Amino acid sequence: MEKVFIDGLSFAMPLLVMAIGAIYSEKSGITNLAVEGFQGFGAFVGALVAVILMPTLGDGSQTVIYIAMVAAFIGGGIYAILHALLCINFRANQTISGVVINILGTALTAFLTSTANKIMNGDSSNKFILGVCDRFTIPGLSQIPVIGGFFKNMYAFEFIIAGIAVAAWYLMYKTRFGMHLRACGENPQAVDAAGGNVARTRFIAVMLSGALSGVGGICFAYSISANFSPSIYMGYGYLAISAMIFGNWNILPTAAVCLFFGLAKSGGYQLCLNMGLPSNYSDIFMMLPYVLTLILLVFFSKKNHPPKAVGEVYDKGKR
Amino acid sequence: MKKKELKKSRLAALLTHEKWGGVAVPMLAILLALITASILLIVMGKNPIVAFISFLQGSGIVPKAKYGGGQGILTDLFTTLNTLAPMLLASLAFIIGFKAGLFNIGIAGQMLISGFTATVIVGYSGLGSFIAKPLVVVVGIVTGGLVGAIIGWLKYRFNIHEVVASVMINYIISYGTGFFINTYYANMLTRSMQICSPESRLTLMNVQIAGMKCNIPLGIVLAIAAAFIVKFIFDKTVFGFELKAVGNNATCAKYTGINVGRRFIFSMAFSGMLAGLAGVVYFLGTYNTILPKTLPGMGYDAIAVAMLGNASPIGAIFAATLISVFQCGSNYMSSNLGVAKEISDLITGILLMFSACGGYFQYVAQRRVSRERDLLKAAEKEKEGEQ
Amino acid sequence: MEDYIVEMRHITKRFPGIVANDDVTIQIKRGEVYALLGENGAGKSTLMSMLFGMYEPDSGEIIINGKSVKMRSSNDATAHSIGMVHQHFKLVDNYTVAENIVLGMEPKKRALGIFPMVDMKKANEEIAELSKTYGLEVNPTDKIEDIQVSVRQRVEILKMLYRKADILIFDEPTAVLTPQEIEFLLKIIDGLRQSGKTIILITHKIEEIRRIADRCAILRRGKLIDVLDVKSTPSQEMANLMVGREVSFQAHKSEGKFGDVVLDVQNLTVQNSAKFDVVKNVSFQIRAGEIFAVAGVSGNGQTELSDAVYGMLKAHSGSVRLMGKDITDLSIRERCESGISYIPEDRHHTALFLDFTLGENLAIRRYYKEPFSKKGILKFDEFNRNADEVIERYDIRSGQGRKTTVRSMSGGNQQKAIVGREIEEHSDLIIFVQPTRGMDIGAIENIHRQILAERDRGAAILLISLELDEIMELADTIGVIYNGELLKIAPADTLTSMDVGRYMMGVKDA
Repeated sequence: MEKVFIDGLSFAMPLLVMAIGAIYSEKSGITNLAVEGFQGFGAFVGALVAVILMPTLGDGSQTVIYIAMVAAFIGGGIYAILHALLCINFRANQTISGVVINILGTALTAFLTSTANKIMNGDSSNKFILGVCDRFTIPGLSQIPVIGGFFKNMYAFEFIIAGIAVAAWYLMYKTRFGMHLRACGENPQAVDAAGGNVARTRFIAVMLSGALSGVGGICFAYSISANFSPSIYMGYGYLAISAMIFGNWNILPTAAVCLFFGLAKSGGYQLCLNMGLPSNYSDIFMMLPYVLTLILLVFFSKKNHPPKAVGEVYDKGKR
Repeated sequence: MKKKELKKSRLAALLTHEKWGGVAVPMLAILLALITASILLIVMGKNPIVAFISFLQGSGIVPKAKYGGGQGILTDLFTTLNTLAPMLLASLAFIIGFKAGLFNIGIAGQMLISGFTATVIVGYSGLGSFIAKPLVVVVGIVTGGLVGAIIGWLKYRFNIHEVVASVMINYIISYGTGFFINTYYANMLTRSMQICSPESRLTLMNVQIAGMKCNIPLGIVLAIAAAFIVKFIFDKTVFGFELKAVGNNATCAKYTGINVGRRFIFSMAFSGMLAGLAGVVYFLGTYNTILPKTLPGMGYDAIAVAMLGNASPIGAIFAATLISVFQCGSNYMSSNLGVAKEISDLITGILLMFSACGGYFQYVAQRRVSRERDLLKAAEKEKEGEQ
Repeated sequence: MEDYIVEMRHITKRFPGIVANDDVTIQIKRGEVYALLGENGAGKSTLMSMLFGMYEPDSGEIIINGKSVKMRSSNDATAHSIGMVHQHFKLVDNYTVAENIVLGMEPKKRALGIFPMVDMKKANEEIAELSKTYGLEVNPTDKIEDIQVSVRQRVEILKMLYRKADILIFDEPTAVLTPQEIEFLLKIIDGLRQSGKTIILITHKIEEIRRIADRCAILRRGKLIDVLDVKSTPSQEMANLMVGREVSFQAHKSEGKFGDVVLDVQNLTVQNSAKFDVVKNVSFQIRAGEIFAVAGVSGNGQTELSDAVYGMLKAHSGSVRLMGKDITDLSIRERCESGISYIPEDRHHTALFLDFTLGENLAIRRYYKEPFSKKGILKFDEFNRNADEVIERYDIRSGQGRKTTVRSMSGGNQQKAIVGREIEEHSDLIIFVQPTRGMDIGAIENIHRQILAERDRGAAILLISLELDEIMELADTIGVIYNGELLKIAPADTLTSMDVGRYMMGVKDA
């Protein structure tokens, strides 16, 4: 049972930070199907920095991981400029831009990984081997029966993500920037008339979206796979998008949804183990979040409110 | 008035031209992508001209210096056609939805489920060629069409955005088929699905033509035919007119008396049918097996290919050919130049990125043209005033 | 030397295809109400948008308080104490009144002494205070989506006052209000003038200018025609200058000859997507040769009523009968075939395929049947023949005739195309919703003539309009809708516009 909580949470947290990224972009009025590409590219930059630093700082060094996370944050943010440029400056269809960003992300990271490996150690492998993040147990809380499992064997990044999530919530709902950002997604004309800069706000929102997704990507690389390879494009970006939809584009409900998705995955896996089923039965549980999101939409699509102006090109000079 | 402003931009005029704009815009995107790729190659110390010729050689458009035993230019050309056929079908699938205002991002899932279903039903059946091959096609079309119809129905009945529904269904299909493949149909050695019978495969393997070993994709005939059929439907028929009407303005289509919901379902079903066809041509043609839990990237590439072809069926033929050349020529180019072969995907990605900006090129050109027109008018007026 | 607070000198602004302002110069005195009079498309809004920093002029100079300034964004305008109430309100629907007002100028505080935050509590207090000072009653914590149009307008006014604006621009502020609400607004404007504000009023209604303005600039087709002193100029002269020729205020309407009942609506109730009744138990009849006009403030169920008659919306209960046939459950196409034509409110969104050609748009009533198509294959020769005919008959002007993309046509010609297409069906019932919105006087006269011609032909006309003048001018029978109910149905000649206005506010007969 404990294992379910531990694994569930360690899957839910990176998912959450990606979902928050998606929320930032969409709340500002830019459709974001590019989460998958953002997280992949962010993870790539993080992993690249890590493999460069590992020889000097030592393979097991945790410092490397934190630096890698910062690098992933920056890398994801920079890559997201492309989506922002396409959607905001070049008036591309935002859905198509998302698809293109994902295709380009896969191609670019594969190319750069093998090039980097060739330069660094002569082989053109498509992987960066990383370590695994350290784990902590919180003394008091972990003793609580049943839910104590949430606080055992936590990856260090889970704390960081929790911090990011709180900061993101604060920025979105309590500050001027957040107020402008949400208004941009509902009625950009209003922001313009009130003296706000719609294009700039959206640009920053998309960059933040990429940065947060990048953090999610590097955390997956440091936990599930312990390396960076093309398998980072597993579709978790799309899972984050469904969590966002399920959470009705709000951070708190989305957090709950991510946790639920995480528990469904780990719970399913444990259930299969306990029942002596082969591990592939857990695929059924991986299907669950998508099925549930679809069912939710069937029954509650009227209560589901995407930001009103999402997906529209904002034309300041429009008459 | 400044002289410079009055100078007419030929490029702008071309890009906004009623007839040629549709060709000029993608051409500009291709040109920009080739320039970017050339810069990239030069930075890496390679000759871009040699690289581009290598792509053409590797894909069987231009002969190579030498060939291995039993191989020749046709071998490579048919390999390219094996990629081209499903890609063209998949991008046609996207175009059908797109014209009706629907964004079928679920092509990958529809391809996968069709390939899976056809493999299970026909691929393992031991039926003879003449029954198996048509049956594969039918199963593919029906399966894909059903999935498409479900997405259309969800939109019509529950107002669920087709992009969201497609994404969910993609992963449901991916994990669902993955489970069945791993549980029942896995080849323990390759971890992939057990291969389908040669009788059911839509590519004829190892056919000798002029002493060259060729794998002939039957799907290419279907794909080209499909392109012309799609063109005919949209240009000439009431059905196509109504689909375009729904795509241009669904509210106005409803006002016109078109049953919009039903058109959503039809167009998604139609789109799904071609995606399904693409799926069997891909999984039971180009390849003969399915990797579990892996959505074919082609399903997404096709979207961008359709955009590169300006969402026109004939444009898609050229766009899909171009992308296929890049993908299939990459191995030869890589070994010829000593560049990582991933660069071909990168060039494809850059190309698709520029094609996504096509609307912007046209927008800028349009503004430029109308400004020129205004200035011209103002100048004329001034002249009149002087006289 | 006069004390001008705002001067706009030699302003020229071009948009692709048109010159919106052509060398316009206006000078506004401190503390006056200055009206900009002109037809739709005369360039009034564009001129003021430049003063407010939404666009930059191609040439010309803006002078505020004697100093030449550049207006690059609405921030610059705010900095120079200029505020504007736009014709289409710029409000975020799911934000509260206070959030909308402070947006862009939020009061700040620091949580725990470190983290900057928006101080909503302070904002709410400030707004409550401000609203009391100026007699503009609002509840700061209401969400915009829950409040009425007239209250939303108050929010827009408060937005300017919160920004300490001294120069207040009102863009067609009365277009969405009832006569009584207009009274209230004009009083507010007068009060603002007395407290020392300068007011610029954009309008095409001469009556309002008479009531409130000191001076009036007349714009026509982007050019400044004249600046007049309101008190010493007769209304007729203003109207003539605005239009550029003699205008008659009365359309020529013949005595009505009413035939059998064409449309019979009984106990019709329509719900919106939130299962809320937006049309409540409405019953009325329209006879052949009768114009039945529905008056009401925007958003009281008019659009839903016409949509339900036409079939765009399903009736929740009740019945709709056309020439005695029950059409309540028929599809839109079946209704059209039974004899309904519909000129809807939003022509871009509902009645035209903007990226299709004019020829295709003129064929959308018939494309699916012979001779426009045979066995599912379109016959473009017939499309072309039809298009040329309608274009000729209704004088539709466009760049390349039937091959023109509708998007590139002017609004007036788009409307002509819709009206022509619908009238050509010779239907028993024609529904006109806001048929003249955004059109100039010449075009309005033309459409009014066509509506009357159809009535005299013997068609039943359902006219829905927000323009009370239009209703008073055309209607044989008036129905006033309030909150989804038809409060009053009476022959037009028994009602004055003040009566209608009262019903529009929801006042029932005692």
